[in-house]
Parts: sequence; structure tokens; C-alpha cells
Amino acid sequence: MIDLAIIGGGPAGYVAAERAGAKGLTVILFEKKELGGVCLNEGCIPTKTLLYSAKTYDNAVHGDKYGITAENVTFDFGKIMARKNKVVRKLVAGVGSKMKAHHVEVVKGEAVIKGRSQEGVEIVSEGNSYFAKNLLICTGSEAFVPPIPGLKESGDIILTNREILSLNEQPKSLVIIGGGVIGMEFASFFNSFGTKVTVIEMLPEILTGMDTEMSAMLRDMYAKKGIEFYLSSKVTKINGNEVSYEKEGQTFTATGDKILVSVGRRAVTQGFGLENLGVELLKGGIKVDETMRTNVPNVFAAGDVTGFSLLAHTASREGEVVVNNLTGQKDVMRYNAIPGVVYTNPEISGVGLTEEAAKAKNIPYKVAKLPMAYAGRFIAENEGGSGLCKVLVGEKYGEILGVHMLGNPSSEMIYGACMAIEAEMTLKEMQEVVFPHPTVSEIFKETIFAF
Amino acid sequence: MATVVIMPKQGQSVESCIITLFNKKKGDSVQKGDLLFAYETDKASFEETATVDGTVLDIFFEDGDEVPVLTNVLVIGQSGESAEEFRPGGAAPAPAHIEPEALASATPIAAEKTPVPTPINNGSSNAVSPRAKILAAKEIVETSTLQGSGPKGRVIERDILSAIAERPKMTPLAKAEAKASGNSAQAGSGLAGAITAKDLTSANPVYSSDYEVKPLTNMRKLIAKAMHASLQNSAQLTHHLGADARRILELREKVKKAMENGYPNNITLNDMVGMAVIKALKKFPQVNSHFMGDSMKYFNKIHLALAVDTDRGLMVPVVKNADDLSIQGLSNQFKAIANGCKKGSIDPDLLASDAATFTISNLGNYGVEIFTPVINLPQVAILGVNTIVPRPKDLGNGCYGFVPYIGLSLTYDHRALDGGEATRFVKQIAIEIENLEFEI
Repeated sequence: MIDLAIIGGGPAGYVAAERAGAKGLTVILFEKKELGGVCLNEGCIPTKTLLYSAKTYDNAVHGDKYGITAENVTFDFGKIMARKNKVVRKLVAGVGSKMKAHHVEVVKGEAVIKGRSQEGVEIVSEGNSYFAKNLLICTGSEAFVPPIPGLKESGDIILTNREILSLNEQPKSLVIIGGGVIGMEFASFFNSFGTKVTVIEMLPEILTGMDTEMSAMLRDMYAKKGIEFYLSSKVTKINGNEVSYEKEGQTFTATGDKILVSVGRRAVTQGFGLENLGVELLKGGIKVDETMRTNVPNVFAAGDVTGFSLLAHTASREGEVVVNNLTGQKDVMRYNAIPGVVYTNPEISGVGLTEEAAKAKNIPYKVAKLPMAYAGRFIAENEGGSGLCKVLVGEKYGEILGVHMLGNPSSEMIYGACMAIEAEMTLKEMQEVVFPHPTVSEIFKETIFAF
Repeated sequence: MATVVIMPKQGQSVESCIITLFNKKKGDSVQKGDLLFAYETDKASFEETATVDGTVLDIFFEDGDEVPVLTNVLVIGQSGESAEEFRPGGAAPAPAHIEPEALASATPIAAEKTPVPTPINNGSSNAVSPRAKILAAKEIVETSTLQGSGPKGRVIERDILSAIAERPKMTPLAKAEAKASGNSAQAGSGLAGAITAKDLTSANPVYSSDYEVKPLTNMRKLIAKAMHASLQNSAQLTHHLGADARRILELREKVKKAMENGYPNNITLNDMVGMAVIKALKKFPQVNSHFMGDSMKYFNKIHLALAVDTDRGLMVPVVKNADDLSIQGLSNQFKAIANGCKKGSIDPDLLASDAATFTISNLGNYGVEIFTPVINLPQVAILGVNTIVPRPKDLGNGCYGFVPYIGLSLTYDHRALDGGEATRFVKQIAIEIENLEFEI
């Protein structure tokens, strides 16, 4: 008898499989494509690989600020893409060997849930039937392509995160519909290599959900680098290479060799027999409680398929919560300390409440903010660069509620703020923490003392 | 040339207003007539519009700020112009959320000095040693539930230490919260089961956190305070009595007919009841008064207030010198103040409870048959007007028929008036209603 069957080998599924295997459960993992899911194959990892190439190129081209001049700097788009593929292959193989090491049986093929009986949940894949005591659904999400008139007819001009990662040639111009995290990271990448990039965003600011002040600062930086932004603009029509959008009642057009649609993602809840279980949905995703249980006993869901958060690290932790509860360790999912990072150059990282969210939820808070330049190391390594660190604390006890940073390498230091929020540390405890000097992370400490 | 927009002074008694919402932000261009910001006093809300074209050079306040009247709120001018010299209080820094002094008292350093709620000692069973007490207070351990290991079951330091070792860790915030609230928790939902602040606030088993908390508007706060104070601080009771409504219904028909022929005043039943009340008040001056605790204020004139239901809540504007008015005048005044309330353009001075000498609250339109209105102190009575219902009546000669009756519910403050007076007064209103006369 299988203790835990997992459908979907992304960051929720493979991490849950690894943890459950390590704890001695009999685990089977179904994956119809490649282990690692969207994150490893068409998301986090390939984009970060590409963005590092872009950053390296930027550094070479703009080295003169640091006294380094390189002549005839060139890049090879094909090589950049090839390296990305190599990195992905290596990491996918790494996940495979992890599964082996933890005795997880990996079934490569589509899985279909047949139903639930006394024998457990029945899953059929590649002609075989499997019965499991528990089922964890981690089928993830896919790019949402809105029904814009003319979009379908525009054929391969239209790209999502998937197609754009397998381009063979660099487009000369690119229109990006949706200035969210995915849109902005691709905007950053192609802008570095000289593609003319236009970002059309429906909302009044890019990167909704991040600190609005920082989103606006980042937008300014990229506008200086040549990206054209059209905010509060609604795309109404696509005609081949031409995107029509409405702004304040007027219609404009933007053209691009390619058009990236990055307006959001949608949970995958169809095509694998979910309906045979009678699992309840909520806003398009699978409805779960704080221990990731669905309404059906012994059936759990984790990751993007729940329809919110949509982050690899959220997914992994959700998978772990399932495994912990299955193995007798009480655990609940907490969403108040989930970090979010936009890997542009500079990066924006944030965790916890933004000012906007605190205001909306009527949570009494105090805020302090400092320019990144208060950290010596930032000055040393960011000639002419600017950034910001913002800390929100509770009004009454001074507990850390949110930390937001614009500047490199905020993605690598935001976890410190995650720990502070998870541990409900207050300013008093934070003030006693020693930060290494000189590091950019000291900006967090400086801001703590700015209260 | 930059134009400064100030917080207008709405009425003599208003010292400050709260800005509910800015419709423009710094840098926005404005045109004459554009809505700049909405604001409210204790009693009413208003909107400020631009009187010039230009660009918002600077805004000195944020949504929700309380701003003294006549203070500079924002500056409109041509971009490039300086607005700094208009900043209230000179070049003071922009209002920020950072308040060092306030913070100091919020940190646990200060919190530790606050007295820890002493655990309830149920029975004489467990005495606690001083060392144990200090440690228990520091680590937030509930000593009353501990089985002491000292002599005669005395709780000693090591009992506290083992209690600390056995319970889940508490986060620093949870400790601060526990000290302040005195709550404790046995299990935690934080890192590795640590007790978090959330675990100390018991969630409702029915709805958990599925609700929304909205702060009261100023107006709601004021209504709540006034109504609660009224019931707390006076001795109110209500007498109900009916008046034969045939006369006023007949008058109403006449008005309607006259209007078809171009008569300008839509005199309603409410206006007629108002007129009857004024006539009755003239005969019962002791009701046209304020109860001041150790004295009574008797008024020479009648200032009649009318309860008005608006989107923002209940408002009770007053018609000054109502006893000087003809029924046409009263009708017009009632309409004017009611519309003023609905639009939010009413003079706040007309809304003060001590501005009126008597109040009418009419729920007849809504079909209410009986209710007990609440007095707007320091007034001594309020008349609730109910719907008209047919009632059987002896029409003479053993003949019974149904006659329309309008219900009158008079709530009065028994501190100021006695039952006899109040009854005679409400009866007088009925008589006035039954005998009302006016020229159309």
C-alpha cells in the first residue's frame, strides 16, 4: 500500500516526496513532463540563468564606472539559451537523484484519479492502477491567456513564459502585456541586450503586491534604460505584431516582433480526474484549510493549484506541512512571512505586510525607511545606483510586520526578515542582532535603528 | 501665483475637520470645479472643489488626518512654483508615521515595567516563593495551575523552570501580548509549534477571522455616544396615543388637488403634524425646554428639530423659530434642512442637540405602528409619529365604522416632566391634529 501518492513533480510535489521519503513513507510521484515543474523548467531557474547572463553583459558594458573598460563586448543569444538549457537539465537530473535517494517511485506519465474507496485513492497512469492512503495534488498553474480579439490569429508572435524561453533568435522588439513579476523579468532581460521593450500594464503601477513606492522607483530606472511603460492601459485588440490598448478613453498601438502575454496564471484543476473525487474549488483553485487538507478526507493540495501565492517557495512549504501532519508532527501553513522577489537589476525583495496592505487591513503600524546608500557596501558596489529599505512594525509592540528592499542583492538577504517575522521578533530583539560588516544587509539593521 | 486651499470653517462650533479622502495627489493637474478632497465634521460631511486651474504643488496632510479649520491643506499653482512657504507650521517635516516617543513606550522594555496581572490564587493551596514569582512574571508562567514541589506544595523556582521547559516556546511578541492581556495558550501555531501572538487571541469558533473591522465614521461615533448617553443619563418612558387622522388626510387631499392647479407648496402629513406640535408646545411651554440637571431652561421660541434618515446615518437638523412660521413656511424649511442633510451641505450648527427645543421623528412612511424614540438630550421630549391605521370607532347611534388614526409616541424625560403633563401634552397634539386648519 502506498502511503502518499503525489500528482505533479514541481516544487510542491518533489519537496513533499523528498521529505515524506526521508521520513520513511512509501511515496509515489507522478509527473507527465519533467521533474521540477514550471519553476525548474519554464520559470524561476531558467529566467534567473538568463538574467545572470544579462547582468554579466551589463557589467562588461558599463564597467567604466568602476574603472574597467572592455572593448567590443558582444553576446551570443544562442549560447545564452544553450547555457540555460544546460542548467535546467542539470537541476532536473538533480531532482531525479534526490527522488532516488529518498526511495520515491517516480512514474513518468499522466496520472488520472479514478476515485476513492476503502482501498484508498485510485490513480491510473500508463495503464497501471495505484492505490494510495493519501493523495497530494500539486498540478500547479499555467499562463492565463485572456480572450483578447485577434490574439489567437496572431499565431507564434504571441508568447507566454513557456515559448519565450525557447526562442532561437532575439526579437528586435517585444511588447509585454502585463507588468507583473514575469513580465518585468523578461523586460529586464531583453532590455539588457538591446531589444526595444514596451510594457503595457492594466493597473496604475507595475508589480502589484510589491511596495508601490519601490515599484515606481524601479519603473523609473527602467524607463531611463529605455523601456516604454504604459500604465492604466487595457489591451483591446491584437492584430499581428500590433497591440491596441486603451488609456484614459483613447486608443493607442504598440508593435513588437514578439508579444509576451504575462497577465497572470491559472490553477490546473482539469484533465486528471479531480472531478471524480468531488474536491471543492475556490476562485479557480483547490480549496484547502491551513493544513492543506481539501474537503475530501486524505486528499491534500499544495502549490499553485490552490490558486493563491503562486510561488515555488510557498509550494514547497505547503508540501512540507502536508508531510509533517501525515507523520505526526502538527504543523500549519502560515502566509504572513512568505518572501517575494523580483529578479530585475536591481532586485526588489519584500516579505510581510506592505504599507498598502496594512492600511487596507487597518493594522496599526509604524514605518521607517532609509536609502540603500546607508550601507557602505552598497555604495562600494553600486556606482550611481540607488535603492531603498523600508521596515514596518506593529504600533503597539514594535514587532516586525514587513520588510521591503530595492537594491542588489536584496534577494539574498530578505530571508533574515522572514525569520524575524516568523519568530515575531520586535525591534528590541532585532537591535541585539549582529550583522556582518560591511554588507548591504546592514541596511536592515540601520533601518531598525531609524525607528 | 499659487493658490492655497484651506480647510473651510463649517459653522461656528467646528474647530477641526477630518479629511476622509483626497481625490488629487501631488503633481495632479486640476481644473476649476474638480473635487479636491472630502472631509467631515462630527456631524456632516462635505466636499471641497477647486476654484482655479493648475497643478497640485503640494498636499500637507493625508487621508484620515484631523485638520484644524482655516489651516492650509494643499496648494494649487503652476508646476515649478514653490509651495513650501504655505506648509502649516513653517517648514516642518511632512507628517510621518515615525514617532520615536510613542515607540519607546511600545517596546517591551517599557512593557516590563507594567504590572503583571497577578494570577488568580484559587484557594490557599499554592503559595509561591518570591524567586518563583519573579521568574514566573518574567517568563509569563501561570502559577495558579502549577503543582508546587516545595514544602506544603509551595511553588518554587524549579517548578517554574520545569513549566517553562515543558511548554512550547513563546515568540517575543507573544510574550509582550501575554503580559498585556494576561492570556495564555497551551499550543502554538508558530515555528516548531511556538506560541505566537495569534494563539493568545482566541479565535471565534464559528466565524474565525472571516469578518471585516471598519472604523466608525465620526458621525456614527457621535450618534452612538449621544444615544447611549441619552438612555444612560435620563429617565425616559413613552406614552402612545392615537389621533383621528380624517382631518389631516382631508387637508392633504386638498393640497394635492391644489397642486394640480399649480399650488406651489407640497404640504405633507409630516408638515401638518409639525404644525400641530408647534401649537401644542405653545400651550405646554414646560415641554419646550432643556433639562440641565439642577435647573430647567425654558425657551421663548420653538426650535423644532426633525430626524432625517441619510446615507451617512441619522441627522437631526433644526428649524429655528419654527413658531414664527406659517404651515407653508414650515413645509419649506423642513424640506430645506432635510435636503441639506442628504447632500451634506447642512450648517453643522443646526445639527447640535442643544440647538433644538423639541424633536419630531416620523416613521409613519415606513409603516411603523409604535416605537419608542430616544430623546436628544438636553431636550426633555421627542415625538414619534407612526403610520395611519384604520381603527373601529363609535360613530354614534350604535353605529361603528373604521376611522383612520395616526399613532403618536411621546418619549419624555421623567426627570423634567410628570406623566400627567406628558399625557396632556400628547393629547393636545392629537387635538391640534384633529382640528388643524390652514388656508391653501
